[in-house]
Amino acid sequence: MAHYMVVLLDETRLNELKGTPVEEKIVDMFGGALKAINIDVPEDVEKKIMEAFTSARIDSRGAVTDVPVAFNRVLFEEIAKNKSIGKEVWDGVLARLDKIKEDAAKESSYLPAPEIDISDIEELQKEPYQKP
Amino acid sequence: MNGTYFERPLPHGGRLVERVVRDPELGKKIAKSCKAVYDIKPTLHFETGVPVRNVYREIMSVCYGFFSPVEGSMTKAELERVLKERRLLNEWVFPYPILFDISKEDYEKLGVEVGDRLLLRLKGEPFAVLDIEEIYEINPEEVATRTFGTPENNPEVVKEPFDKKHPGWVIYRSMNPIILAGKYTIINEPKLRPPFDRFWYPPRKAREEFEKRGWRTVIAHQTRNVPHVGHEMLMKAAAFTGDVEPCHGILVNAIIGVKRRGDYPDEAIVEGHEMVHLAGYIKPERHLVSICLWDMRYGNPLESILHGIIRQNMGCTHHMFGRDHAAVGEYYDMYATQILWTKGIPSFGFPKPINEVPYGLKIKAQNMKEFWYCPHCGEIAYSDSCNHAKEKQKFSGSFVRGMVAEGVFPPKVIFRPEVYKVIVKWWKKFGYPFCNEEYVKKKEQELEVDLPHMEI
Repeated sequence: MAHYMVVLLDETRLNELKGTPVEEKIVDMFGGALKAINIDVPEDVEKKIMEAFTSARIDSRGAVTDVPVAFNRVLFEEIAKNKSIGKEVWDGVLARLDKIKEDAAKESSYLPAPEIDISDIEELQKEPYQKP
Repeated sequence: MNGTYFERPLPHGGRLVERVVRDPELGKKIAKSCKAVYDIKPTLHFETGVPVRNVYREIMSVCYGFFSPVEGSMTKAELERVLKERRLLNEWVFPYPILFDISKEDYEKLGVEVGDRLLLRLKGEPFAVLDIEEIYEINPEEVATRTFGTPENNPEVVKEPFDKKHPGWVIYRSMNPIILAGKYTIINEPKLRPPFDRFWYPPRKAREEFEKRGWRTVIAHQTRNVPHVGHEMLMKAAAFTGDVEPCHGILVNAIIGVKRRGDYPDEAIVEGHEMVHLAGYIKPERHLVSICLWDMRYGNPLESILHGIIRQNMGCTHHMFGRDHAAVGEYYDMYATQILWTKGIPSFGFPKPINEVPYGLKIKAQNMKEFWYCPHCGEIAYSDSCNHAKEKQKFSGSFVRGMVAEGVFPPKVIFRPEVYKVIVKWWKKFGYPFCNEEYVKKKEQELEVDLPHMEI
C-alpha cells in the first residue's frame, strides 16, 4: 500500500499556493474545517525518513506521521518553492535532511505555545465539580 | 448479575483489599518495628538507564484496593501460577506479575530474611512496609517474555515476538533479579499532588461516590490520552449500554505512570477529560474523572483483564473497549481484547470469555468499533452505522498530535476548543505540548504524591 503525508495548510500557506498548479491538489478535511495536501511518499524516501527519525511511523490511514515539526515545515517550503508535489519536492527535502535533524533536536525540548486566550477555561476551572 | 437490573458487582475476589494505616501513631509504631530500611528507587531501562517504572505505584494500587485481591509482592508459586494460568493461588484471575525487586547488592546490604519487616521509604519519608514471606531469584528476561506470551505458545493473539521495543516487556526485563515477596501496608498515607488530588477515587471512595450519585450502572472508559471528539462520542455511545436504561454514569479512569515521549502530559489528560464536563459536553452529574497509578504494560488483552479488575473493584458494571486496546506496535492481534471477552484465549488459560470462567470477572465488556468523521453524514459516525466508508476521515492520534505540534488550532469536529485550551495551558507550563525527556525525568523525581513528614 502506497503511503502518503498530509501537509496542513493555514491561511498563510494557502496564500503561498494561490495561482500555482498545487492549488488544485488542495483537499478538504473534516467537512472543510481543515485544508491539506496529500503528497505520496516514494518507498525509498520513506525508508530514509524512518531511518532519520525514530519517532516516525505509519498510522492506521497509511500516512507517515510523528515526524518533527521542522520536517513538515521544510516539506511545505519545498512544495511552495517547486510549485509541485512531485519528485523534485522530495529531492529538496532530502538535501536538507541534516538541517532538519539539527532543528528537530532543538524542538524536542522546547516548542513555543500558540498565543491564544485561555482565560475562559481558567474561569471554568475555578469551580471544579470534583473537589479534592 | 442476572435479571432485569444489573447490580454493582462485588469486588474481584469478593472483598476490597485496603492496607492503609491512617493513624500516624500506629504508623510510627509499625515503622519502628522494621528490621531494615530501603529507599524506593525507579526501575531503570536495562540498556539506556531511563526510568521505566516506579514500584511505589504498584504499592499504592495494591494497598488502596485497585488490584484486589492482590495484597503484595507475589511469592514464587504465585508468580508461576500467574505466568502459566493468569490466576492467583486463590484461583482468582489476575494477568500480571506484581513483584518487589531489588538488586543483589541492595539485598546483601539490607541483611533481611524471611519473617522480617522492611520499611520502604519514598522521597526520604516512611511510606510502606513489606512483610517478607519469601525471597527468591528471577531471570527478568524470562519473566518478561512469559508475561506477554509468544507466537508459538499463544498463536490466537500474539503475532510477533516481544522485544525491547515493547515498553511493557522492557519493564519486566529491567527488573532486578531478587524478589522480596510479601504483603504491603502503607503506614504513612501519601497526599496526591494537584491536579491529581481531585481525581483520586480509590475503590472504596468510588463506590461511595456512585452510591451518592445514584449510579447503579456505570461504564468505564480507559484512557491515556486527552479526549478528542471521537473519544467523547465513543463514551456517549457506549454509555447507552445499560440494562433497562442507559448507564447512569461514565467513569473515566486515567492510568497514571511513566510516560513515553509523544504522550500527552498526565496533567493535560486529567484536566482535558474534566473539561468535557466543565464545558458541558457531558453533564458533570453523569461523568466522573479518576486516576489509577500504574506503569502501563501495554499488554492489550492482558491489560484489559487488569483494567476490568480495577474498574470492577471501583464499582463499575461495564467497561468499553476499542480496537488495539492498551497496545503498542503489532505484537498482538488488534482485536485481541475483543477476542478475550467474546470467545476466550485458551492458550492464556481462558477457554471461554473471561466473564464465564470460574473466578473470572463480573464487569461486562462493551466492545466498540471505530468512530470517524463522515463528510457525507456531516457528523462523527460509528463505523457499523455509517455506510460511507470510502469517504471516512479517521481520528488518527498521530495526525492530531502533528496538528497540535504545528500550532494549528484544531477544528471543533476534532477537539472541543476548551479541551484544546487545556493542552495549551500545560504546554505553556512545560514549554512543550507532549512528554519529552525533561518532563519524564522531572515526573519520576516528583512523582504524583508527597509524603507527610514522619519522625521515627
